[in-house]
Amino acid sequence: MATIDYTIPGEPDLETLDIHVNVGPQHPATHGVFRMVLTIDGELVTDLDPVIGYMHRGNEKLPENCDYRQVIGYHDRTDYLAQFNTEHCYVEAVEKLTGIKPTERSEYIRVILAELNRITSHLMFIGAFSSDVGIFGTAFMYAFRDREFVQDFFEEITGERMMFNYFRPGGVAWDVPDDFRERCTQVIDRINSGLKDLEGMIVDNEIVLARCRGLSRVSTEDAINWGLSGPLLRATGLEYDLRKAEPYSIYDRFEFDIPTGKDGDVYDRVIMRLEEMKQSVRIVEQALADMPDGPIMAEGMKRTLRVPEGEVYMRVEGPRGEYGVYLVGTGTDKPYRHKVRAASFCNLSALRAMSIGNYVSDVIVILGSIDIVLGEVDR
Amino acid sequence: MFLLADNVWLDALLRMAIVAVLVPVGVILLTWVERKVIGRLQQRLGPMHVGPYGLLQGIADTIKLITKEDVRPDSADRPTFELAVFVIVVPVFMAAVAVPFTSDIFVRNMALGLFYFLAVSSLGIVGFVMAGWGSDNKYALLGGVRAGAQLISYEIPLILSAVAVAMLGQSLSLYTLVQLQDDTPFIAYQPLAFVIFIIAGLAELYRQPFDIPVAESEVVGGPTVEYSGIRWSMFQMSEFVSLVLISALASLLFLGGWTWPFGADNATWLQVCLMVAKTSAFILFFMWMRVTVPRLRIDQLMALCWQILLPFAFLQIIINGLVLVYDWPSWTLTILSGAAAIAMGTVLHQVARRSGVLYQTTGASQRVGSVL
Amino acid sequence: MLGILKALKTTLQAAARKPVTVQYPKEKKELPHRSRGFPVLLWDFDKDEPFCTGCQVCARACPVDCITVTMKDNPKKAAGKSKRKKIVEHFYLDYARCMRCDICVEVCNFDAIVMNNTWEGVELSTYDRQDLVLDKDALLKQSRTGELKDPFREPMGVAHSGWSPKEEEEEKAEETEASKEGDEG
Repeated sequence: MATIDYTIPGEPDLETLDIHVNVGPQHPATHGVFRMVLTIDGELVTDLDPVIGYMHRGNEKLPENCDYRQVIGYHDRTDYLAQFNTEHCYVEAVEKLTGIKPTERSEYIRVILAELNRITSHLMFIGAFSSDVGIFGTAFMYAFRDREFVQDFFEEITGERMMFNYFRPGGVAWDVPDDFRERCTQVIDRINSGLKDLEGMIVDNEIVLARCRGLSRVSTEDAINWGLSGPLLRATGLEYDLRKAEPYSIYDRFEFDIPTGKDGDVYDRVIMRLEEMKQSVRIVEQALADMPDGPIMAEGMKRTLRVPEGEVYMRVEGPRGEYGVYLVGTGTDKPYRHKVRAASFCNLSALRAMSIGNYVSDVIVILGSIDIVLGEVDR
Repeated sequence: MFLLADNVWLDALLRMAIVAVLVPVGVILLTWVERKVIGRLQQRLGPMHVGPYGLLQGIADTIKLITKEDVRPDSADRPTFELAVFVIVVPVFMAAVAVPFTSDIFVRNMALGLFYFLAVSSLGIVGFVMAGWGSDNKYALLGGVRAGAQLISYEIPLILSAVAVAMLGQSLSLYTLVQLQDDTPFIAYQPLAFVIFIIAGLAELYRQPFDIPVAESEVVGGPTVEYSGIRWSMFQMSEFVSLVLISALASLLFLGGWTWPFGADNATWLQVCLMVAKTSAFILFFMWMRVTVPRLRIDQLMALCWQILLPFAFLQIIINGLVLVYDWPSWTLTILSGAAAIAMGTVLHQVARRSGVLYQTTGASQRVGSVL
Repeated sequence: MLGILKALKTTLQAAARKPVTVQYPKEKKELPHRSRGFPVLLWDFDKDEPFCTGCQVCARACPVDCITVTMKDNPKKAAGKSKRKKIVEHFYLDYARCMRCDICVEVCNFDAIVMNNTWEGVELSTYDRQDLVLDKDALLKQSRTGELKDPFREPMGVAHSGWSPKEEEEEKAEETEASKEGDEG
């Protein structure tokens, strides 16, 4: 039963035309090259037509020519804000297919880095969302100040600030430096103090409340029907997180809560992501305390990895939702079919239903709250 | 009032020339100040590269804008498009004529100074609508229509709060109003009018939280989107000159201008210092608000004006009227006005907390835009 | 209004702190030891020749095919000055295509190619894209002049799992024997 009413108020005596406004590929607010054709009646949006594909790069076809280590770089560039999570998904898929078991130390390193990357992704979201809502770049600067600190930490471990190419099937590429624990603790302290700034700017702000509370409410039933996942689904009240529902890697050893919202509106989605950052910090602290010493790559790995015949679908909880990799192997060292199930693509398909009947300004805010990454949507 | 030259006409011409030269130079300096202040509030340095501490950044920007190619869309309505800029810039400079900066430094000391200022600064609104229509661009049209609606609506609380002060001072001349404030500024008697003036002034300047006509993340630039080069710099200049003028007006009307706290007969240099300090305080406050507060949506903005600011502005005038007619002592004015100001703050607080639930719906058939 | 006052207080507190700007290019952040720049070749100062022998493993492992290598007989081996039988003849690396994934460094058997972890490894703007295709001398320059002081040379990848080049040769020898038997049989 749809909860959206598409009728337009009143019977006008004047004959009026609806304007088509093209929120085009180049626009400061669309988070990438994404195009929406809005049909507006005054300020009300009566129809929305999303157009994607401006960033299609062949991320599913090109890996069919690459061996299993070369594909990891493609996953960095799919969801380019949460690279460790995507690499984690792909590497776990290969491990499932081949039966390799990664070492304990590398599992802990993977979890710590993936959760820190979730924090950087959510910081970027808060910065971009507050620019959409109208703050003139202050929350953006605060978010990026802390994000730089985490990226410097990543640079000390892997060498790169964004496209890491660090996880490998069987473990990680090389060991972390000796001051890993102290630096990680510094990073966590910095994130905790930075979150206070962001909370002060957004959480109780009356204007943010007036613009976001009650906007685009989504019920749990609608969310499941539309295929939403991640923070969008949890904001409607359903406690569903792949790290607890189908635990992968070593997530079943850690204690953390799953924040949920009540109404599924924009405000809940924002507050939830702030809370998720705090839960990620909890996981990192627990993992740091338990991390063992040992090898970081499984024993007896061959130089070229040949994957036996079979298929696997592996999914992880990315910061945007469920990120999945479907691999078909045929005994050679190159995958036969490599498909990526991107969270932003499925979340974006619900944009039309969520935004009809709202104002033009609201559509921008709703698009910001879905938190899309065009690399994932178009691949 | 001293004459710069013997002939009255020559004197007027010289004064206007001084204003026409000093004001753009002041604007160039003010762009540097704004970028530095915003940078510090965001925990970063501002411009540092051009000149020592980036002081020449305003000049570099001006040179860049002047030498840019003047691009005009082919289907733009040429007279409307090109005249819109002048219709915005000229009234702002005309309004600068009526504002006295100290007891000796002004262009004209008019008996109807306040009335002239408010009347002339309303003319610029037509320019925005002309820019929005003449650009032949849907974003410009949206921005221009929003700008027209917002600026016209917020004129009324601005004028009513200025009228309340004029009722207290029993005169429309800015000079007289300042001379009357030598022992207590009017803010002590009229806190409600002060708050309404600041909010309506922010809206007239289309700054955060009221900058929806030129919102960068939605209608990219609004009515100014198709202008480039020197025409666009005219828009910016008019915004900054209005900023200075509204801040100057606020310090003249409410904080006592050049007289408080040192009395009416002080040296010129002290008067200049006081005026500069008070105007700068308001300018810095407006910049601080710009960096911190998100923007309101257009219907929330209009609801704020017509359903909250306007009744409270009328309330302030009624309070003033009662106190003047029944000849009550001045402190009753402070108490009544202060109580009304606190009441307005409470109403705003409650409305903001409840507003999302009250009128945001997912169906288009419900009436939107009301806060009460 | 309290929320807005709290936001104003947050901004004011931020203004009181030291700004976080690093004014590049006057001040440069110190790059960590493992920082990845673009790949460069290493020079063997003992034998006065590059480490690279032109075996083309990196060119095969590169995901974007940005390396072109050819190999020749080493004249120094004939003269008795070096143990390397083959040496690199041409080596072209297209910096415009390289995605800095580090796989070439990981697979090199001779530790001949490393990532340039200095600022020169990342300050590469040119006016013409053709200038970004570097040849062997340009790639060796950083190492020969001594600017590349301390490249990152941890054992990487499969090296951790106990693999060594000898094992792969034994595997290949077994495979060729098996295929010979298959042909005969």
